[in-house]
Amino acid sequence: MLTCDKYHMPTSIPEALAIWQDAAEGSRLVAGATDILPWAREGRAGDVNLPAMIDLSRVAELQGYKVANGRVHLGANVVYQDFLTDETLRQHLPCMPFCSIWFADDQIRAQATLVGNLVNASPAADGTPPMLALNAELEIVRLDGKALKRRTIALSDFVKGPGKTDLQPDEIVTAVICDSLPGYGGSFQKVGQRRSLVISSACAVACIKMAEDDETVEDIRLALGGVGPVPVRLDDIEMLLRGKRITADLITQASAMPAGRVASRTRQEYRRTVVKGFIEAAILDALIECGVPLPNAAEVENAHV
Amino acid sequence: MSEFELEMTVNGKPIHRRAKPHQRLLDFIRDDLNLTGTKEGCGAGECGTCSVFVDGKLIKSCLMPVAKAQGVQIETIEGLAPHGSDLTTVQKAFHKTGASQCGYCIPGMVMAATSALRENPDAGIEEIKERLGGNICRCTGYTKIFEAVEIARDVIAGKLSSTVLDADGAGKSYIGNNVRRLDAPSKVAGKLRYAGDMVMPGMLHMQVLRSPHAHALVKSINTSAAEALPGVACVVTAADVPGEDGFGVFVHDQPVMADDRVRYVGEAVAAVAADDVLTAKRALELIELEYEEIPAVFDVEEAMKKGAPVIHDYAAGNLVKHIPIRKGDIEKGFAEADLIVEQAYDTQPVEHAYLEPEAGIAFVDHDDVVTVISPSQNITHHRHMLAKIINKPINKVRFIMSPVGGGFGGKEDMIYQGILALATMKAGQPVRLVFTREESIISTAKRHPAQIKYKMGIKNDGRITAVSFEMISDGGAYGLSTEGVMRKAAILSCGPYDIPNVQIDTYGVYTNNTPSGAFRTFGAMQSQFATESHMDICAEKLGLDPFEFRRINMMRDGAVTHTMQTLGSVSIGRVLDAAEKASRWEKGPVGVRGSERKDVGGDDTRPPCTLGARFRKEEKNGRQEVA
Ligand SMILES: Cc1cc2nc3c(=O)[nH]c(=O)nc-3n(C[C@H](O)[C@H](O)[C@H](O)COP(=O)(O)OP(=O)(O)OC[C@H]3O[C@@H](n4cnc5c(N)ncnc54)[C@H](O)[C@@H]3O)c2cc1C
Repeated sequence: MLTCDKYHMPTSIPEALAIWQDAAEGSRLVAGATDILPWAREGRAGDVNLPAMIDLSRVAELQGYKVANGRVHLGANVVYQDFLTDETLRQHLPCMPFCSIWFADDQIRAQATLVGNLVNASPAADGTPPMLALNAELEIVRLDGKALKRRTIALSDFVKGPGKTDLQPDEIVTAVICDSLPGYGGSFQKVGQRRSLVISSACAVACIKMAEDDETVEDIRLALGGVGPVPVRLDDIEMLLRGKRITADLITQASAMPAGRVASRTRQEYRRTVVKGFIEAAILDALIECGVPLPNAAEVENAHV
Repeated sequence: MSEFELEMTVNGKPIHRRAKPHQRLLDFIRDDLNLTGTKEGCGAGECGTCSVFVDGKLIKSCLMPVAKAQGVQIETIEGLAPHGSDLTTVQKAFHKTGASQCGYCIPGMVMAATSALRENPDAGIEEIKERLGGNICRCTGYTKIFEAVEIARDVIAGKLSSTVLDADGAGKSYIGNNVRRLDAPSKVAGKLRYAGDMVMPGMLHMQVLRSPHAHALVKSINTSAAEALPGVACVVTAADVPGEDGFGVFVHDQPVMADDRVRYVGEAVAAVAADDVLTAKRALELIELEYEEIPAVFDVEEAMKKGAPVIHDYAAGNLVKHIPIRKGDIEKGFAEADLIVEQAYDTQPVEHAYLEPEAGIAFVDHDDVVTVISPSQNITHHRHMLAKIINKPINKVRFIMSPVGGGFGGKEDMIYQGILALATMKAGQPVRLVFTREESIISTAKRHPAQIKYKMGIKNDGRITAVSFEMISDGGAYGLSTEGVMRKAAILSCGPYDIPNVQIDTYGVYTNNTPSGAFRTFGAMQSQFATESHMDICAEKLGLDPFEFRRINMMRDGAVTHTMQTLGSVSIGRVLDAAEKASRWEKGPVGVRGSERKDVGGDDTRPPCTLGARFRKEEKNGRQEVA
């Protein structure tokens, strides 16, 4: 059970930072609360009393998003449901609707923020692999005297390990800034114990842009989650595929590559097998989204033998 | 903890109250506004029973700190069809299709269904499934719920006449006709009160201290600091039992709370009744307990060995019950066989996971009658056991069965009712205990895990000549229903097959694991899993069609079971015919059919995962490669 002595609802960044700076040791920032509330239960942190909870959901500056200069600036209060329901976001972040549909459920997606997911830094977080694929950075702010001091950091540098990030004690994440990829096909693969409401045992994301000929890969982004302490971007496979004519053989070759990246503490063999199928499925699903014909189906089947 | 002013609109009414910063929206709705149609099934966002609309969006109120609800519009199940008005179309459709069984998940389901159709009035079945994905039901298997949402959608859209929601005529007989449940309207409207929804004036809240050890001696308990905490009415332990302690469905080996020894992790050791849950929790931390850990045993085979830790003094060999059955001459039966097939089968413990966690409320009435209201599946037996435990004549003990929010056998044991009785007798005030999901899982019975050794003798023509069946089941730390479960497992062990020579032994064994107890089928599931798996394996070895192999051996009218009961009529033949037809089974032994499985897929089968299909593009025809 989570209890707290004070619950703050600041409405501006300066107000939030001032409260955060003065908050007693052990106080926590809150966004959707979907990680923080279940955390304070038996078997995890147990009963916890926090000196203060500082809820950021009413901070005006953290609402909404902007698209500019090939990047999407996602305010910290953007929730997962937005990636499903907002037409513009769906167009610019083509992998995110598929990630979101696998994420928790309708109710939790209405509350859960992308930023909360990234800061929580679970190895199984579904939001991290797509954001790695989209070259995301986090925009972070703190108070320096009375002035706001902002910094940005690449997501790949921000997430340091299970539950560990580069976030410093007085800081607040204000936004995630990532590539805007209209015209790409996106996809997301996930496996867990059941279909809805499930934490990933493994997940994979792909974003692909095909050239005019519908057969050559102009650009590709791939990342994996749930297979080690931190999600990973698959640069080697991207390099293999970029600029190539996509064939069944090539996909098979690519899907054999990431097995070596599996570094989880449990079920390594299982994850290696899954990851292989995931890369293939992620590529094929993304190609479908690109609206291009797939490499000959029989050939894909044969390439497995 | 500083209270704060909270203003919001709930079901159209403005609310202005003081709230505590740690309250969740769920707590505020239930405890402060007494709107108990919104349920708590897990407290961790998993089950969906607490779903409410906040500014038109469905959320899980167990994950929302109430402070977040400042200034918002809330709509709960009670707001869908306000008092005095007709049920909504969705609610009526749930009533019509029988979608509400135990009813505990139903307010949340109705909310999710309402949300689904508000978000997309034209939602197809796959989208409906997707949007109900955050809500768990354990009774229906979801089919009737999905059916209800589809009917509601079509009635709202005018595609179906609203008369489809009316009761079907029962004709001459209720049997074979679709009869609506009488209690469904109260369930779909969130009006039915389960034990955890009930309140009484002056009611105290209980919290239970549970053992962190699997096997330990309780050297001392000191409750004085806990008792001294302001707001605490009383602390109860085994020392408060005035009568003869011990309950169980067969053997009364379990004390209301651990006396001198704890036997599993999660066993109750002491309990506090206080003004509120938080105070009771704080008091638990003040109870001083000294344990001395002793060797524990977690494996049934280990537990049966000589020299294993003894869990109950009365049962030196850790045996709860052995049920042997013999029929015919087993040696002769195996000697006649052309083929002998042996195989071991293991099953795992299973949690019932009813959506309603255990809850109860107890009070002593004006005539000194100790009354316990709880979703007990066995109130008469509980009443008799409690009378002995609290040393009262039977007319001074009363059990009232509250609506059971799912039981499946898991609420047959008197796990907490005795603790409530002791506390209300001591405090002189009503006391309520509501389990958390974690508590429910850690402390209550599971399905027996079983280790089964199967040996079957068969003739080449497919006739079974003999079966030997040995099942060792982990009964856990207390007897509960183990004896009955072993009996049923033994009786049903060989399935509906006519086998001349049979040797059956089922053993229920004590270990320091969570106790095992009743669970739908009561032991038959484990033995049927082994039997039917074995039948398939043997059919394959004989090169016989598995249906055919079963038909050769099935009991027929007048058959004598291995417990020597003569059966008047036997329906297995018709069951096999129906199963064969429904599964579109391709005749023949497994492994000899063509490469194309014609019985897989098609009508009435579930498509593979369609999550997100509504966003996906159509696949284009594959590229034609030029060689
Ligand atoms: C039933 C259920 C199902 C779930 N399913 C999934 C799933 O499928 N996939 C998945 O990845 N996760 C899942 N989760 C986990 C959780 O919902 C996500 O991690 C969610 O995105 C967390 O966001 P939040 O806004 O709720 O975070 P909160 O719980 O509010 O916060 C999480 C952490 O982030 C910090 N934080 C929040 N905002 C900021 C900020 N602006 N600056 C700095 N720190 C901040 C908080 O202090 C806290 O440490 C599930 C959770 C539940 C309960």
